Amino acid sequence: MPLVVGWLAKNEGLIFMEGLDVTRITPGQEGKNRIGSALVVGSGIGGMQSALDLANSGLLVHMINDEPSIGGTMSRLDKTFPTGDCAMCMISPRMVEASRHANIKMYTLAKAIKVTGEEGDFTVTIEEKARYVDAGKCTGCGACDAKCPSRVLDIFNQGLNKRRAIYALFPQAVPNTRAIDSDHCLYLNKGVCRKCEKVCDADAINFEDKDKQYDLHVGSIILTPGLKTYEPDIRQEFGYGRHDNVVTSLQFERLLSASGPCSGTVTRPSDGGHPKKLAWIQCVGSRNSHNANPWCSSVCCMYAAKQSIIAKEHDPEVDSTVFYMELRAFGKDFDKYIDRAKNDAEVTYKRAMVSEVIEDPETKNLIIHSVDDEGKLLNEEFDMVILSIGFEPREDAAEFSEIFGIDTDEYGFAQTSKLRPVETSRNGIYVAGTYQGPKDIPETVIQGSSAAAKSMASLGESRGTEVVEVVLPPETDIEGQDPKIGVIVCHCGTNIAGTVDVQKVADAVAGEAGVAFTETIVYACAPDGQQKIRDVIKEKGLNRIVVASCTPRTHGPLFQDTIREVGLNKFLFELADIREQCSWCHMADKEKATEKAIDIVKMNVAKTRLLDPVNTSSVGVTHTALVVGGGIAGMTASLSLADQGYGVHLVEREDTLGGLLTEVDFTLDGDNVREFLTDVTRRVDSNPDITVHTGTTVANLDGFVGNFVTTLANTKTVNHGALLIATGGAEYSPTEYGYTESENVITQRELEKMLAEKEPDNGESYVMIQCVGSREEPDNYCSRICCQDALKNSIAIKEKAPDALVVVIYRDIRSYGLKEDYYRKARDLGVIFLLYTPDDKPEVIQGEGGLKVTLSGKVLGKEIAIDADYVVLSTGLRPRPDADELAKKFKLTCNIDGFFMEAHVKLRPVDFPSEGFFLAGLAHAPKNLEETIGQAQAAAGRAGALLSHESLTVSGVISKHNRDICMSCLMCVKRCPFGAPFIDEDGMVSHNEVKCTGCGICAGVCPAKAYQVNYFRDDQILAMVDSVTTG
Amino acid sequence: MTADEEKIEEPKGPEIPQEIPAGWQANIIAFACHYCAFAAADLAGVMRLPYPANVKVVRLPCTGKLDHIYLLRAFERGVDGVFAAG
Repeated sequence: MPLVVGWLAKNEGLIFMEGLDVTRITPGQEGKNRIGSALVVGSGIGGMQSALDLANSGLLVHMINDEPSIGGTMSRLDKTFPTGDCAMCMISPRMVEASRHANIKMYTLAKAIKVTGEEGDFTVTIEEKARYVDAGKCTGCGACDAKCPSRVLDIFNQGLNKRRAIYALFPQAVPNTRAIDSDHCLYLNKGVCRKCEKVCDADAINFEDKDKQYDLHVGSIILTPGLKTYEPDIRQEFGYGRHDNVVTSLQFERLLSASGPCSGTVTRPSDGGHPKKLAWIQCVGSRNSHNANPWCSSVCCMYAAKQSIIAKEHDPEVDSTVFYMELRAFGKDFDKYIDRAKNDAEVTYKRAMVSEVIEDPETKNLIIHSVDDEGKLLNEEFDMVILSIGFEPREDAAEFSEIFGIDTDEYGFAQTSKLRPVETSRNGIYVAGTYQGPKDIPETVIQGSSAAAKSMASLGESRGTEVVEVVLPPETDIEGQDPKIGVIVCHCGTNIAGTVDVQKVADAVAGEAGVAFTETIVYACAPDGQQKIRDVIKEKGLNRIVVASCTPRTHGPLFQDTIREVGLNKFLFELADIREQCSWCHMADKEKATEKAIDIVKMNVAKTRLLDPVNTSSVGVTHTALVVGGGIAGMTASLSLADQGYGVHLVEREDTLGGLLTEVDFTLDGDNVREFLTDVTRRVDSNPDITVHTGTTVANLDGFVGNFVTTLANTKTVNHGALLIATGGAEYSPTEYGYTESENVITQRELEKMLAEKEPDNGESYVMIQCVGSREEPDNYCSRICCQDALKNSIAIKEKAPDALVVVIYRDIRSYGLKEDYYRKARDLGVIFLLYTPDDKPEVIQGEGGLKVTLSGKVLGKEIAIDADYVVLSTGLRPRPDADELAKKFKLTCNIDGFFMEAHVKLRPVDFPSEGFFLAGLAHAPKNLEETIGQAQAAAGRAGALLSHESLTVSGVISKHNRDICMSCLMCVKRCPFGAPFIDEDGMVSHNEVKCTGCGICAGVCPAKAYQVNYFRDDQILAMVDSVTTG
Repeated sequence: MTADEEKIEEPKGPEIPQEIPAGWQANIIAFACHYCAFAAADLAGVMRLPYPANVKVVRLPCTGKLDHIYLLRAFERGVDGVFAAG
């Protein structure tokens, strides 16, 4: 288990310095009837999330995928919305983390072909394609690709360039071993070539490799196979495949990517020029039953905004236009991102359905017709057109569902219920991500954790039974010994040695103080190379090691484990990066490269001389969670935690459980919410592991991860290891449109209640107004549920009273994902949708004859007046009025709208930055019931993985505080993002190492130098500087 | 004029531009965050992007760890440029 504390904090990073010490508990559970392992099918961001959560909770995970690398769709993206973060920088550490986890077994080029058995005991037959490269021997050096004569369209780069038949899927591929594409290898097809074999110094090519079949025995299965993108060739009117400069959005993503086919300088396929006028066409392949898919793909509006913003960042002269039908920016902070695209990146948004893209045969520019606000036809010329293609289930989805024996919906997505969003029709098989329906990265991650939580609950009794504990020899005491440093310089085949004179490097550092041994080695990371390192440590009595090879980011932990296996503390090691940061960048000047390599190794020797062993301490864990908020999020999380085997204290400020859901009767999909809520409440009340505290709040929180002590307002004290915040939101009570003056101006919630009590009448007219109190300053965010509420109530009226008039006056109908079906259904039933813009709102007039709604007609060209029996306001959601106060109490932060901020928008959507704090429900952002349930289960899964530990080991790379020289100036207390420094009972500053993540901000700001970060001490850094300078 | 003011008085006049000797190469030290800038330097290598060899990278756990003493020491010992990235 890679030391949980450091890892949760760093999120992406964990592999930083830590190894694989395993401590595990099965809290109060001894039964072992079910197999304590799970199969995760697919290893995109959702699959990896499931795998990591399960593995961290003490279950063994088998993770399979059918590509040669893990990473899925996210690895193909350049940046992500709405933060513009680099996708690869986020997913790459996750991939390394998953591949190095002691409890995750990874199988690439593999797929399941048969599943038998039942929940708790499945047998899955796996078929693994021959890789023709021995993963144990391949070092990922890439010497082979350069020699391979066979050119193949690069699928990863969406066919924009060519790769070789022996290849890595992408530069950061995990595992970093090549694979041979058997369809295109000359030797495998024609019996000649074998050039890769000749050039491979590691002897890793194996043309005798065969496809394999084997069985895996697992207790549960999580399906995260991911998606296929729509192929737009069929829409001939857009000219994809005929016009060179019409590309898909995923192709454009690769064009933007620094590691893509044109290194991030966007070029036109026709002539390699830099396109200045770009157009995006939205909904290509989505929201259309003709030659396309009827659903909304959920992400295209946002990625088009992202791509247009990034394109502008790349080239300020870029002028972008987005042709769209409806702007679906329904997620947290999404509307603000669209505003950024409009205002900062000067993107023009045009509401238009594009009928045709015409190519100018001379210039290869593209002409799009559209209609402007005055109704005039416009012809606009663009340098490049990007088709915003949607998602669909994979081609093999039907076969896939048959193999796993699960039901699918009419479109081929896995069938789930809105009340059980990650459960398939077969017990013990769960689903996450886009196979359950179109969704973005954070929702996929949430479902990944949610599916893991269901699996943990199912297999809780068998936790710890299948995983292996690593037993290591005691550490050698080097106290008082002079440094005896061994320096191993790696050739990496010809990767380093082809450019850098490695022998010269070894000779140059042999005379450095403290260096007792130097040697060059062909592949330091290969099994024989590592054995060599172990041997020389023992033979020569070395007490510190420097390996000069590749990057510490991927290979550091490997060598740290190697030296630890022969008793050296893991922190008596440093890796000098002379490949990525030297030989690969300076191939043209071998002399300079060798000089630089010598400097890099000297710097690391200078640091290593001063390295000391770092001992990691650990703290115990209270296997109980405190859940704050007794709405559906809090109750769902409590049940999940109890099912996993942990104790739960559930605190609710009101006297009864249920929260906002008590106001809801049905979901858009027709699920009976009232019955569901009654059942959940009963299960919470009757669960012996859940203690419910109603009518009270949290008065004070003390302690730290694993060991919190909370005092409630009713003076009761609760000890707990994790804290889950599900404090909910509030419904907006409107003042607009005469709501307070007329009893026939009502909210959607009130309409729902009214419809439950009396049937609508054919003679009635209902006029709904959307976005009341949402999407405008000061509440400039989408409340997400109101469009669904409007559709739900419209359909309910029209189904019972087909002749009733139902008009929805809207800005954008945001029926994202599969909810698009209901938008279509409402239109089919005769619901009338009329557009308004925020600067031209409808008016509600209360005359003697009743209500009248007028809509002036900028969009329609003439004013409309509708007599309304009821004006129904679609009012949004608000954060709880006391959210700020709560945030202060728990030392958490809120976004500008007053919703709690998660640790990371994309990859840690249910965690807080503070260790041991988790988040779910409306407190995070507006969301519907299905999403709330999913997020609550996810938060419970994340908390459960934490609570499964007997103890938490404090990360080695942490800041050490010297209280003797500290002046308690409080700079550190103010600056630490994790709240680790605190004012102790003596009124002085003390430092809580459990909360520390080792970022070193405290050390940077401390005027007294009272902080030193282990492994990055000032003397160590300065020694590096000194070693390559002359004083 | 007080003693303190005397001490902090800076040399007057503009810096005199020096002739750059032929073949001169700046000696540059980069301080890079493990998670981003150091990773970016690695990616440059993976993509075989060439750049001059006269920059050496010191890895930090976070650029928040960057201390002014590192910068001062580097300049004091004659480096020509410091690059902090994170």
